[in-house]
Amino acid sequence: MIMKKIWIVLLPLALMAGGCGFDNYDEPQSKLFGRVTYNGEALGVRGTGEAVQLQLYQDGYELRNPIPVYVAQDGTFEATLFDGEYKLVTRDNNGPWVNDRDTTVVDLRGTTNVDIEVTPYFTLSDVSLALNGNALSASFQIDQVVEDGAVDYAMILVSKTAFVDDVVYIVREDLSDPEVGTAVTQSVDLSGNGDFNAGAPLFARVGVRPVGKDQAIYSQVVKLR
Amino acid sequence: MKKSIITTVKTVLLACLMTAFNSCSDFLDREPDRIFDDEQVFADPALIQSVLANFYGRVMWGQHINDSYQYTILDEAGKSDGGPDNIQDYSNTLWRVYDYELIRNINQFLEGLRASSALEEGDKLAYEGEARFLRAWVYFNMCRGMGGMPIVGDEVFDYEVGMDVTALQYPRSTEAGLYDYIISECDAIAEFLSDQPTINAARANRWAALMLKARAAIYAGSLANYNNKMPSPIRTAGGEVGIPAELTEGYYQTALTTAEDIINNSPYQLNMTQPGNLERNFYEALSVKVSNSEVIWARDHIYPGAGQQTGFTRVNIPGSHAEDIDRAYAGPILNLVEAFEYTDDRDGTIHIRDAGGDYIFYDNLEDAFANKDARLGGSVIVPGAFFKGEPVILQAGQKIWNNGSWQTRTSQPGDEDDEGRLITSTNGPNNSNEQFINKTGFFFRKFLDEAQGASTRGRNSEMWFPRLRFAEALMIASEAALELGQQSVALDYLNQIRERAGIQPLESMTLDDIIRERRVEFAFEDHRYWDLKRWRRAHLVWNGVQNNPTATQYALFPYLVVAPGTPNDGKYVFDRRPFSNSPFPRFFQLRNYYNFIDLAWQNANPRIVLNPFQ
Repeated sequence: MIMKKIWIVLLPLALMAGGCGFDNYDEPQSKLFGRVTYNGEALGVRGTGEAVQLQLYQDGYELRNPIPVYVAQDGTFEATLFDGEYKLVTRDNNGPWVNDRDTTVVDLRGTTNVDIEVTPYFTLSDVSLALNGNALSASFQIDQVVEDGAVDYAMILVSKTAFVDDVVYIVREDLSDPEVGTAVTQSVDLSGNGDFNAGAPLFARVGVRPVGKDQAIYSQVVKLR
Repeated sequence: MKKSIITTVKTVLLACLMTAFNSCSDFLDREPDRIFDDEQVFADPALIQSVLANFYGRVMWGQHINDSYQYTILDEAGKSDGGPDNIQDYSNTLWRVYDYELIRNINQFLEGLRASSALEEGDKLAYEGEARFLRAWVYFNMCRGMGGMPIVGDEVFDYEVGMDVTALQYPRSTEAGLYDYIISECDAIAEFLSDQPTINAARANRWAALMLKARAAIYAGSLANYNNKMPSPIRTAGGEVGIPAELTEGYYQTALTTAEDIINNSPYQLNMTQPGNLERNFYEALSVKVSNSEVIWARDHIYPGAGQQTGFTRVNIPGSHAEDIDRAYAGPILNLVEAFEYTDDRDGTIHIRDAGGDYIFYDNLEDAFANKDARLGGSVIVPGAFFKGEPVILQAGQKIWNNGSWQTRTSQPGDEDDEGRLITSTNGPNNSNEQFINKTGFFFRKFLDEAQGASTRGRNSEMWFPRLRFAEALMIASEAALELGQQSVALDYLNQIRERAGIQPLESMTLDDIIRERRVEFAFEDHRYWDLKRWRRAHLVWNGVQNNPTATQYALFPYLVVAPGTPNDGKYVFDRRPFSNSPFPRFFQLRNYYNFIDLAWQNANPRIVLNPFQ
């Protein structure tokens, strides 16, 4: 009799254990690394809020949904995928560059590096950001890349974490009509800021927003203290 | 041996049982008594009407009084319930409507109705008019969120296994094409529908159809106008999003003539039941159904029995007036209150400090809101205002004059100091993560029901939600006339609205006056978001910049002055402060101008193209 009862227990266990292992894939292991670049230099973008995305398409399947790839604030991105041939495009009208939806074919085997070359409306050069007493002295130059691009505004941003953009900041100074092509200098008074006075770590960068685009171009993040 | 007998008995028993069920009688073949087929439905006028009633119950989208949270994500109200709401961005699918199931059901209804012999021809046309009005309303709600979507006409699609589905895959219409379709549908059905007001404005009549036509035309006109004035207009290659600029004038003209038809020929007018009390009058225009002469179409919440009523009054009522445990879920914010003008001053800022930066002292709480646009009192309960005959005391604490400076004292709600003076009111406002206490300094009045028991869980409120009303016809006519260069006509219509509100008439106007007037006239009526979108202002107003006064929510905290021996003792002062329960500025991005298309729809129908920024 005991033997029979054991079967009652064993049978469901056997059924449960028997379900796994045969029809499942291993998880994807191949890595795609890349950067969004202009003239070989990675572009700074907003890295929070899934703001700047690329899209990966793979042909030959029934459904065509793209895989979103999120660009980090230093312009790099990465994705963990299955081996195969993918098509990488920028998202429509997304990002501070000229909208260009040409595909880059990525043949992924193991680990692959890819650079997506875009044409930003502007670039930022000679960026210097430093604390000077109770103020942040910023100097930078906005360089025109696209001839008909116009500057909406430039901004100097300070954050207490390494994430700095037009949404994540503690101090923001907007320059509504900055000069293009010459050095811009600006001093930002921080003395009224609680985090500054409390001695919190500070990070900064500058950004420039092209007219009519959904995102700004940023310099790389600088740690102030 | 014994065992086998049992087995035999069992077997015989089983066989008998099986035979018993394996009967030739049709005992189990029943006609379903809970499902009617088309033949039965369309043979009975009462059933036809109840199918239509079902459709009316399925068209509630966007902001409405059944979901108070939706009021708190723009710049009209703030959420007081519990801790902070960290909303900042808007969802890609905010208030997105994609209801082809309802469109199919309406088309099934039209097919059955047209074949029915149970109704007189005139009644049939009236029903057809209502059904097609609701279908146009569905398309309108889809279109303002996503742009052009497939127009399926009257066709009822059927699917059989194995059939070629490509015939069912309709491409998206252009945005202009869908607005044109809505306008032509409204034109076609206007003659079918009665021109008389309906009970509680619950059913659509001719004027509702014309209002929808005027609204569709003004939306299309302003989209054609302002989208093309953006630095980089939002459009798709096929025009699914983006209306060509050359159509602007035609749409404005349609909007103007249609709105003027309603203004001149409809039985509706601006409600004026209380000429002696304009605040009360405006409240009654929106929130009282009896002898209402303004509301053309509403979602009514009256019902014989429980089920259809709304909880808006119950969850938002001031604590001092609550009849059940629920109260103070959300309240209007200072941004909205200050958008209301003074009767003689267009700057609506509440005066809380004098030129020297010192407090302005008020004898009574409500004195700070004296001489305001009457619509403020009709839309918002300000501190000290009366609701149901009792004052609503909003007091954050005391300001104590101590050695040359002001100290703030707050307490548990309802506590008094040693002299018996109230510190923090049971209504609030305060800064906390608590439930059931106000945090903005104001309560809703518009749509807050005064009926006995309306704030109890057992009864709830029968308050309606007006969707189309006469004032909108005036505002559409004014906007369209302004855009067509007819300044004096535009001013005439706008000043009718302003006169009813008790504020000074304007002598010249721009689009900014329209924007402001619509904001205060239609607060909480599901206009603000769509208006700012069609004027392409939303990304400028809600630009996500901290401390930007239009993107950040503000609260107003009233305090009792405790300064014994000075003339200001016992008076009230006010502090303006960022709303603690919404720490982040609103950030409307360019991608929010159109909802994203769900990729599953595209997988099912490859002819659906995606929206910009997607």
